[in-house]
Amino acid sequence: MITIFDIILRLACWLLVAPLLPGIINKVKAWVAGRRGPPVLQLYYDLARLWKKSVVMSTLASPAFVILPAVAWVALLGAAMLVPLGPAGAGLSFRGDVLLMLYLLALGRFCTAWAAMETGSAFEGMGAVREVSYAVLTEAAMVAAVLSLSVQTGSISLATMLAPPAGAGAILLAAGLFIVLLAENCRVPFDDPNTHLELTMIHEVMVLDHSGPPLAVILHGAAMKLLLFAVLLAQAVLPMGRFGPFASAAVLVAGVLAVTAGVGVVESLLARFAFRRVPLLLTTAFLLCLFALLVAWKGGMS
Amino acid sequence: MMPTPFLLLALVALATGVATGAKLPRTWLALMMTGTVAAMGAALSVLFGTVDWEWRSGILVGGEPLHLRLDGISAVFLALLSVVGGAGAVYAREYWSDHHYPASAPRGRLWWSLLVLSMGLVLLSSNGLHFLIGWELFTVSAYFLVTLDRGRSEARAAGWLYLVASHVGTICLFAFFASLAVQTGSWDLGPMREHAGLASLFWLALAGFGVKSGVFPLHVWLPSAHANAPSHVSAIMSGVAIKMGVYGIVRFSGWLPMPAAAGWVVIGLGAISALLGIAFALAQNDFKRLLAYCSVENIGIIMIGLGAALLARTHGDAAWGRLALAGALLHVWNHGAFKALLFFGAGSVLHATGTREMSRLGGLWRTMPWTAGLFALGAVAVSGLPPLNGFVSEWLIYLGLFDAVVGKQPSAWAAMPAAIMLAMAGALALATFAKTGAMIFLGAPRTKLAAKAHECGRWMRVPMVVLAVICIELGLAPIWFWPAISRAAGAWNPAWASVQSPAPLVTLGFVHLALAILLIVAGVLLWRKVRANGLRRGLTWDCGYAAPTAKMQYTSGSFAGLAGGWFAWILQPVRKLRRPRAHFPASAISLERFPETVLERVIVPVGGLVLRASAAARRLQHGRLSAYILYVVVGLAALGILVLFSSPS
Repeated sequence: MITIFDIILRLACWLLVAPLLPGIINKVKAWVAGRRGPPVLQLYYDLARLWKKSVVMSTLASPAFVILPAVAWVALLGAAMLVPLGPAGAGLSFRGDVLLMLYLLALGRFCTAWAAMETGSAFEGMGAVREVSYAVLTEAAMVAAVLSLSVQTGSISLATMLAPPAGAGAILLAAGLFIVLLAENCRVPFDDPNTHLELTMIHEVMVLDHSGPPLAVILHGAAMKLLLFAVLLAQAVLPMGRFGPFASAAVLVAGVLAVTAGVGVVESLLARFAFRRVPLLLTTAFLLCLFALLVAWKGGMS
Repeated sequence: MMPTPFLLLALVALATGVATGAKLPRTWLALMMTGTVAAMGAALSVLFGTVDWEWRSGILVGGEPLHLRLDGISAVFLALLSVVGGAGAVYAREYWSDHHYPASAPRGRLWWSLLVLSMGLVLLSSNGLHFLIGWELFTVSAYFLVTLDRGRSEARAAGWLYLVASHVGTICLFAFFASLAVQTGSWDLGPMREHAGLASLFWLALAGFGVKSGVFPLHVWLPSAHANAPSHVSAIMSGVAIKMGVYGIVRFSGWLPMPAAAGWVVIGLGAISALLGIAFALAQNDFKRLLAYCSVENIGIIMIGLGAALLARTHGDAAWGRLALAGALLHVWNHGAFKALLFFGAGSVLHATGTREMSRLGGLWRTMPWTAGLFALGAVAVSGLPPLNGFVSEWLIYLGLFDAVVGKQPSAWAAMPAAIMLAMAGALALATFAKTGAMIFLGAPRTKLAAKAHECGRWMRVPMVVLAVICIELGLAPIWFWPAISRAAGAWNPAWASVQSPAPLVTLGFVHLALAILLIVAGVLLWRKVRANGLRRGLTWDCGYAAPTAKMQYTSGSFAGLAGGWFAWILQPVRKLRRPRAHFPASAISLERFPETVLERVIVPVGGLVLRASAAARRLQHGRLSAYILYVVVGLAALGILVLFSSPS
């Protein structure tokens, strides 16, 4: 009974809170620019409207064009259920769950890229290529980051990995993971979620042809992914295990808000990078995580 | 139940298959089915039983008594051989039918059964001499299968390269088995870890078996042989034949004492193979060549697991080695299943369109829905994504590597880069298969060939469905297969013979099952919601352009451009570019070819040097007696000087 209650609460938490994040980012950007900006709940309205709309589908696309966004969404939700939420712990925790989480994110990426290619559009091809290619570097950075947490805590399960503080390498790890967060969620300086110039986008260009409920599912999935990375980053760096249940929940919320605001500030201050400079930045992220790993190794030795 | 009757039945059925293959296709197929099912029965009875099967006889073959053995390790490979051997036989009935290939189809059946039989012999024989005989028979029958379509010069060249490379490996194996026989005093094989003097022989075995397994940089023969062979042959070559190399390395690393550096070398080779193999795969435009390079990657993944296991053995049988070894052995099965499935899918596309170039295909899901769906399933599996089988074995290897890093022993310095390179190879595999699937099956047909494709028939579809079911099965219920894998790991290192699974495989299985159900439910619900809301068809959005053509689609080359560019230092692309000129350009060309770098940039130039040196040396031999007498005098004088000045003692 309690487990069912727990699962429902957890689902509600992920499903309902996620669309808040893009709203907060947009609000922060508006404040920095001195505008009023769209309401924080804008994405909820968008999702509700999209859910009721009919769908236009490319003449070239197969039914997988509609089904794959749902598959990607389930994969992202599955990954989210493995991530512990402060005092509540993870929905399911076992040895090696962190790798399952990484590969579920990859499954989401595969489905999005495949659905994009369904349309036969060169624009969507560009987006898919960028998405799957940059992922090679982010994946390396993620595994280095996870390794550093493993070395730090002697565990390969998310729940125990994320509880203690990240130690001396915390700043390196935070910087590396933050860059990965920006890249994986297609934020500035990797991608500009606000442009409508097909040539320069990554995620947005992959979903150009989607409409109606599938687009709603994609947008919601993207918001969940952003929340997942923010939660992961906050818990990896903050010493969650040191606080009591209420304090740690508050710390988690504050951490996620800080990360979200940080994304907004970065977007206000930076322009999008030229694509040829993106691999360089991602390599930097990888190196930061790698140094965090070395610091963790050294720290444990002494 | 003892495997003896099964093995006897398999032997009789396959041997009769060799005899009847040419004339009686139906009987042959029935015999192949009987033989492979019986071999499967034997393998399973050992894997899920408790005792190994061993048979010694007084019968002398080549002066040596027959000694056969089926233990956990050989049974794992025998099970794979029987699945792919049987599936390929069914597939060939339609793919390489007597109707289309009246000359080569009978030959193909004969060599197919001989190939399966000889690989079985390699797996069973426990005598160095018989192992070599089986090995040679297997190499030669594979050669005749690769060159089945011998009218094509590419097929002949590929077969020739395969034969030469294989024999370079066989020379190492001759040296290996002969030195082993000299040092132990017998050709008989078995566990001999107490002979510390045998350790250095491992390097010979690694080189010999490495060539067959296609590990980078010994893979030079593999891409062209797998690409040019008929697809059912590519499937067994990629799924099983290269695994014989892996079998050799696993077998003898288990039986012989290991040099201290073995683990480091194997894990290093594996990591390089995994990353570079998939980088080469990504760059290819020929989809069968792409699949072949992907095999190099997967052999690399297996080697990473095996290398970690070797490292663990030198560190006091650490438990993480068992995880890595189990992952490697499971990946042998997994790769066999999904690679055979992908090659069957590729064969079905080739059968329907007659081209292997992805830039001439596209939009095939419409005419070939079965092939498209099954290929997509194989693509998800080969990219190592949950909830299919590829993820399970990679996950086990990751667990081993992570535990090694957490253990903070010196071997962590091998495990750390290996884990990171494995992750990068995984992401590149995803890119590669997103590209392959998209170029072949999605979008609009790029040529008439693609537009006029047709779905494959029942005989080709059934083996694909069987392999797909195996992929799903291994992904959703890995715990069912654990006892078998665990038994093989125990045969490799008796210290690891325990039934308990060190990894939460049951949990993973349930998570996969739940995921699979949820994926399907969510997909169906969204589709129904879309139908309820109303669905219209429209042109693909191309910036408002109203008349898009198939040529405007992204191509294989452009898809690989970004990530492939990072590997240009090793891919060494050969480019031909003629830019459009003037206001109304008449023509423009951009061609890109990715050579097999190791072959064309290293082996061919070195071979050329050797040939030139030999040609120069031939000038010394011209038939003039006076000069020959001069050689003798000079030689004698040199010897005299050597004797005078060397050792006064």
